[in-house]
Amino acid sequence: MLESIRKRVRTGKVTIPLPAGDPPAPFRGMPVILDAFRSGNVAETCAKACATEAIDPEKKTMDLGRCVFCGLCEEACGGKGIRFSQDPRLPWGKREHLVLGGRGVPPATASPDLRSLLGRSLHLREVSAGGCNGCDLEAQALGNPIFDLQRFGIDFVASPRHADGLLVTGPVSKNMREALVKTYEAIAEPRIVIAIGACAASGGIFRGSYAVENNGVGGVLPVDLFIPGCPPHPLTLLYALLGFLGRSPERIPGGSSPSPAEPNRDRTL
Amino acid sequence: MRCVHTFDLGITAPLAEEAFRAFLRETSTGGDRLLALFAEEPSSGRFLLHAVAGGSAPGRFLHACVEASPRSFRTFTDVCPGTHWFEREIYDLFGLVPEGHPELNPLRFHEGWPKKFFPLRSAGAPAPDPRRGYRFLLVRGEGIHEVAVGPVHAGIIEPGHFRFSCAGETIQNLEIRLGYQHKGIESLFPGGPGMGKILLSESISGDTAVGHSTACARLLEAITGRPADPSAERWRATALEIERISNHCGDLGGLSTDIGYLFGAAHFGRLRGTALNLLLKITGNRFGRGLNRVGGIGPRVPGIAPEDLLGELSRLRIEVGDVGTTLLDTPSVVARMEGTGRLLRHTAKTLQFVGMVARASGRDVDARRDFPSPAYVESPPAKVLLDTGDVMARARVRFMEMRASFDWLSGILAGVSPADTPAEGGNAPVSGRRLVVSVEEGWRGEIVHAAVVDGERRITRYKVVDPSFRNWPGLSFAVQKNVISDFPLCNKSFNLSYSGADL
Repeated sequence: MLESIRKRVRTGKVTIPLPAGDPPAPFRGMPVILDAFRSGNVAETCAKACATEAIDPEKKTMDLGRCVFCGLCEEACGGKGIRFSQDPRLPWGKREHLVLGGRGVPPATASPDLRSLLGRSLHLREVSAGGCNGCDLEAQALGNPIFDLQRFGIDFVASPRHADGLLVTGPVSKNMREALVKTYEAIAEPRIVIAIGACAASGGIFRGSYAVENNGVGGVLPVDLFIPGCPPHPLTLLYALLGFLGRSPERIPGGSSPSPAEPNRDRTL
Repeated sequence: MRCVHTFDLGITAPLAEEAFRAFLRETSTGGDRLLALFAEEPSSGRFLLHAVAGGSAPGRFLHACVEASPRSFRTFTDVCPGTHWFEREIYDLFGLVPEGHPELNPLRFHEGWPKKFFPLRSAGAPAPDPRRGYRFLLVRGEGIHEVAVGPVHAGIIEPGHFRFSCAGETIQNLEIRLGYQHKGIESLFPGGPGMGKILLSESISGDTAVGHSTACARLLEAITGRPADPSAERWRATALEIERISNHCGDLGGLSTDIGYLFGAAHFGRLRGTALNLLLKITGNRFGRGLNRVGGIGPRVPGIAPEDLLGELSRLRIEVGDVGTTLLDTPSVVARMEGTGRLLRHTAKTLQFVGMVARASGRDVDARRDFPSPAYVESPPAKVLLDTGDVMARARVRFMEMRASFDWLSGILAGVSPADTPAEGGNAPVSGRRLVVSVEEGWRGEIVHAAVVDGERRITRYKVVDPSFRNWPGLSFAVQKNVISDFPLCNKSFNLSYSGADL
């Protein structure tokens, strides 16, 4: 008992403030599309290296809904066309918001009505629908003392009856389709659907398998928010969830910038 | 290389059925253990069953195969109970019926699938018999009631269905029905030995990306004939041990959550994150994705200098030691864990369970010793073996294994471990049809990847064995005669992958 109290005091506060710094190199976060990607055959070189057909060499676009962030395109073009930055903030929103280099689309923040209905509270039921467990583990990590999702009024609940929405991972295996739809239907309206990870957005690395649905979660349920990644870093999830709710990190209680007394203490998290 | 082996299928004649049965019986009783049993259709309508075994001496691999009729084969469970789930899997994928199997329920195909759909059976093969329906075991008796849980569970975890038959609070039988995470991974592997396969292997089980991708990379390297250099192998083993530490921390946190010990839950949740961030500093991803390439490691790996990593590991080690000691010395924790969910040594041996679950029940198997990769050849991490087989033993094995991993890591990162031997060549190159087997000790236990490769170096059949697939039946044994409220604790103490088992 005494030992655990002592440990608690020694450890102090570990929760990471928002906005947080970037994870350390060689983290592969937001890809930067460079000018060379749009000229010559750089996009083709990148597309050839891509195992998930995320790069369209004709339209010169990169679909983060398919990207598994392996970095092979960057290696193939020598960093000339695509370079992965360390920024954990990835584009989120409807499916088209995840395509880099395409036409600009208006932001996909939750409607004012929904936001006023939710207030400062969002409760989600999580369903893993054929994924590898990577996204689930990162969603779970949001609840640990470092990312502490609850401080933002967002939490995961056990029953769909207690939930405002659904958070889905995985490409939707055919064996999980029914359970997923039933869980969705058990949530009272209005309900939101959040799909995280490349599998949930497009089938990801499993796209085309006989055992998964054709188009990720979007082929089965109406998705309000897609968050890319393979799996998304917990910070990516935090930024996207808060952004969707129209709450930018700077304006969140407990989400202040790092204090000058502890410069960059948690930067590497 | 002692963790990879190539068998020349051109010179391997299929055994007679009795000889094949004797081969499997040996794995139940002798020093060599079963690594995998799987089917293959080398040409339309012709079916082969392959068995891979080994481990009685470092790097010892054995292989045998037998012809099966397009309809059925006689079950091997009577001579080798460890083939139980493998045979159900063969039935699922190829429609070959294991005659006499004690519990022939489909593992992965639920009611919604067409009855004659067997994904790896070719269209040219004789039409199979329709798939049998799933029958739950019915327990009868006064006051017996059933409790059904899942597929969607209460927490943020993968789906699976548990059917308990209880007398009052006491579990008489637990039937585990999986398959919900089935995504047809094995059907996506055939083809050339390119990078796409490594990306696939990273998604077999998200928490074992390092273990699976390393096993896969070595297998592809054996096909292409380009082994990784010793330094790359050292980083692979380093990442593998950190993956072990991160998951063991997570599990000790999970066990704490399930008994309401919030101190352990909070601290181990945090320390798991610290370990994952070390993987990120090495590979660029918290789960070690991006570590492996065919022929070595990624160009940005490692992103951290060995001496810096050593410093971070020694800080983590102190914290894990502090929190773990407090956890395992707390009387209320010990009271919940001791004697709960006991898995007997006899069961673990008979059903050939693997990894830390087996090592907590006195079964001494560890691929780092039995199939050592180059970095482990000279000195694998210290042996950890307990024999009480309860939740406490599985918790203690995790804690002790972390200590062994920290010790081993400080040796290898400081460069004192004599692992810098030149790259070992594989066995004699084979040019025709061959079977390549790769084994690695992931944090749950031994991971086996096997590929049948044709003369053009193309994969025609790929078999993945996650340790979860081997150990899931063990959970049913461990919870028998326990109260149902202890199920979450027992389940967490196994922490098996649904995705890895369902593939």
